[in-house]
Amino acid sequence: MSWNKVAVVGAGLIKFGELFEQSYEQMAAGAFAAAVANVDKGFDPSAVDAAIVATQRGTLWGQEGIGGNTVPSAIGLSGIPCTRVENACPSGSDAFRIGAMVVASGVHDVVLVIGVEKMRDKSTQEGLLARAAAGHPLYNRGETAPVLFAPYATRHMHEFGTTPEMLASVAVKNHHNGCLDPYAHFRSEITVEQVLASPAVCSPLRLLDCCPQTDGAAAVILTTAERAAQFTDKPVYVAGFGVATDHPYLHEKSTFVGLPATTSAAGRAFAMAGVGPEDMDMAEVHDCFTITEILDIEDLGFVEKGKGGPASLEGHTALDGRIPVNPSGGLLAKGHPIGATGIAQLTECWWQLREEADERQVAVRRGFALQHNVGGRGSGVAVVNILTRNA
Amino acid sequence: MTDAAAASRHPVAVLGVGAAAPALRLAAADVGAAWGAAGAKGTVALCDADEDTLTLAWQAALDALDAAGVDPAAVPGLWWGTARPPFAEGPSHAYLATALGLGEQIEGALCSGSPHAGMEALVAAWDALAAGHAALALVVVSDALVPGLGTAGEASTGAGAAAVVLGALPQGPAPGAEGRGGRPATAAGPSTNGSSAPARLVARATRVIAAVDRYRADAAAATGDVYDGRLFREEVFVPLLARAGGAVAQAGGTPVTGWAMADPDGKLAGAVARRLGAPLVAGSPAGTIGDAGAAAALLGILPAWATGPESGVASLGIIGYGGGRATAVVTEVLRPVPGAARALARLAGGRRVPYVVAVKARGQLVAMSDPIAMGVPPTGAAFVRGNVEMLQLEGARCRACGTISTPPSIHPACTGCGGGELDVVRLARRGRVHTFVVNQTMPPPFQAPLPMVVVDLDDGARLMVQGASADAAALAIDDEVTLALRRYALERGVPVYGYKALRCAAGDGADAGAAGAGTLAAGAPSKEGGR
Repeated sequence: MSWNKVAVVGAGLIKFGELFEQSYEQMAAGAFAAAVANVDKGFDPSAVDAAIVATQRGTLWGQEGIGGNTVPSAIGLSGIPCTRVENACPSGSDAFRIGAMVVASGVHDVVLVIGVEKMRDKSTQEGLLARAAAGHPLYNRGETAPVLFAPYATRHMHEFGTTPEMLASVAVKNHHNGCLDPYAHFRSEITVEQVLASPAVCSPLRLLDCCPQTDGAAAVILTTAERAAQFTDKPVYVAGFGVATDHPYLHEKSTFVGLPATTSAAGRAFAMAGVGPEDMDMAEVHDCFTITEILDIEDLGFVEKGKGGPASLEGHTALDGRIPVNPSGGLLAKGHPIGATGIAQLTECWWQLREEADERQVAVRRGFALQHNVGGRGSGVAVVNILTRNA
Repeated sequence: MTDAAAASRHPVAVLGVGAAAPALRLAAADVGAAWGAAGAKGTVALCDADEDTLTLAWQAALDALDAAGVDPAAVPGLWWGTARPPFAEGPSHAYLATALGLGEQIEGALCSGSPHAGMEALVAAWDALAAGHAALALVVVSDALVPGLGTAGEASTGAGAAAVVLGALPQGPAPGAEGRGGRPATAAGPSTNGSSAPARLVARATRVIAAVDRYRADAAAATGDVYDGRLFREEVFVPLLARAGGAVAQAGGTPVTGWAMADPDGKLAGAVARRLGAPLVAGSPAGTIGDAGAAAALLGILPAWATGPESGVASLGIIGYGGGRATAVVTEVLRPVPGAARALARLAGGRRVPYVVAVKARGQLVAMSDPIAMGVPPTGAAFVRGNVEMLQLEGARCRACGTISTPPSIHPACTGCGGGELDVVRLARRGRVHTFVVNQTMPPPFQAPLPMVVVDLDDGARLMVQGASADAAALAIDDEVTLALRRYALERGVPVYGYKALRCAAGDGADAGAAGAGTLAAGAPSKEGGR
């Protein structure tokens, strides 16, 4: 069987931040409106055949059961088919992958993929820190979000001589990019010295090595390549995607200098797209912590294993570097509203491939962009999506 | 029953001993400064927030089993004496037995209600051995009482545990007529084969007076004092202890030449010893760890057990009391008791902390914010599934590739090869740090700095567990660590236990403790039954 080629014809997001004044539903409506507004030839909302919603953790704002009916009602499309996807930090990118498969299958022609996440309605203690008590009732007790990644920093430093300055350079670069992104949560420059002087959170990670807790929503509109021309003359296509899993608990990890789920997911996506890491013009990767971006660029094949630290320090991942990484500011500066994160990253890739990213525009040479999320307990699941502007 | 013959009993052998005390030390002077009183001396040991009478008992028992060369699975009975068990009503004995790997058929008893519980446990185990109902007995005595704020007990109430492995001796001539140095029964196990026991329990006496001393009402968290300490010392306790001690002072083959007992006010023990006409055993750890309640008497005898007699046999008395009862036991020591020297070393050192830290550690200074609740309450089904495998440190070993996946309840398939043929095994308790982090800020019930440590255990299994705050600054990859039972939380009023990775002191790997860890690791029998 052959699949329909899938195009992204609209994408948009709301300004990320601590959006205490907005409800989950209002954020969803804002993201949908932004995506619609960005469709070049106009878009009638009633054209949406089905929606996929990504929300990772409704308990962060006290809503356990966010069903598929929540978002259609909020965006005025009650009645359409809608399914919620939860797949940890890659929830948004996996919702995109699933939405692309729905279009590719021919079942639905126009699919809205929308990610919405409320991270700040509850206090840190009630919300994210409560995971310190989650999972098996006794094993891994005390495991907070930074604990899922900081052990990799300890080991990466031990094996490869990665330094706190190298970690800090990731935060400095992404905060710089965030200054150029009007949708970013944080829009101020920081220095390596400031990162190193910030409070220790989960050693060896400091406050500025960590992404903030951010509310946000993002949406993309997918359709078949055949119908794309109805909406735009500059479509961006889905070139490939991959998802992979690993054991969930940290003590089950085979390595602490890489995330095997990322490597596997990337391999599948590259194979599907028929390209390699060297073909990417830019990448939006999962930088929930500075160490994560260093692991990512190694696991995705942009740099050799162990060289992620020096590569970051030397500017290879800057906007004008060999492989620009996280031009949007990444999770570190733009923010990490979990279900929305992947879709916001894809929106950035869409803008970059269309060369609409203003001051943060990277050079587009081969016409490919990569988007990546990894997460779940102990980086147990990763998703890679590859977009292209090449017809 | 005041004559020596009445006090003599059929003897039992002391095969090994262990002890434990928490690391925190509170100076009596700091207590005095906090409350505007002066004059108190010495220090007391107190539990950190993750320690209690159970964790101390566990540590002491492991050492005793190791010193006696006894496989935990071979122990038929556990007798535990503690004034205040971790569950006022609940599975205290079952938890300790399970964490020690004593097996589900374990017999014995939990004695509690006053510091006299320590002697009750010792005597009950003795009786079981003498009756021929068991060949081996593990006796653990421990306490970590929380004194009331501003009471005199703050400067004297300590914490600690002692454990002894007792072995049955063959039924010989009538008690009292038997010569010293009786041969242990061959049935008692490998450690008693063919050699005379290092020490024996030979005589005992109990005396009673129905008077209130230290006490705690049902709903109270802390233990209160007698209302007139001096009156009760002079009129109640000195006479009571002297009567019990006097009843056994001549019961052994030679008169008792040294006594050990708790000394909560620094005066009582000396007064009793003077009445009995023999000195207190020198070198008691009570001056540094305080009054360890049910454990105090056995801890006090350790210096004498460690050195053994210069020649012949030493006859030494221990007196435990509380709750209006006093029991005196005569021990005959032929040679140094295995484990006694290490036990004394376990009680040395410690880390002096300010009064406010001590009050927080005792749970008497509590932050207003609600602690983070466990996702699964101790009453939940997932907790029931997970608790035993944590206490027993179980893993699931793959028959195909040998990988150990932990814990078994969440691993129906091997994490190495995906295979489904798994055997439940007990994990090694020693290993090395593969990687780690230090949480620098944590809400209650956690305490920062909180290391989280990925440990590669000696048996090849990998675990991630909490580390100790005290180790946070020095922790490094490849450090040798040992897994120790700790109280993770007091969750909805229920104590919850698990293991933490503690950094081994330099040279610790060479002592008998390492052998003990090994006994519980690869050498322990694994339960059959694949999944």
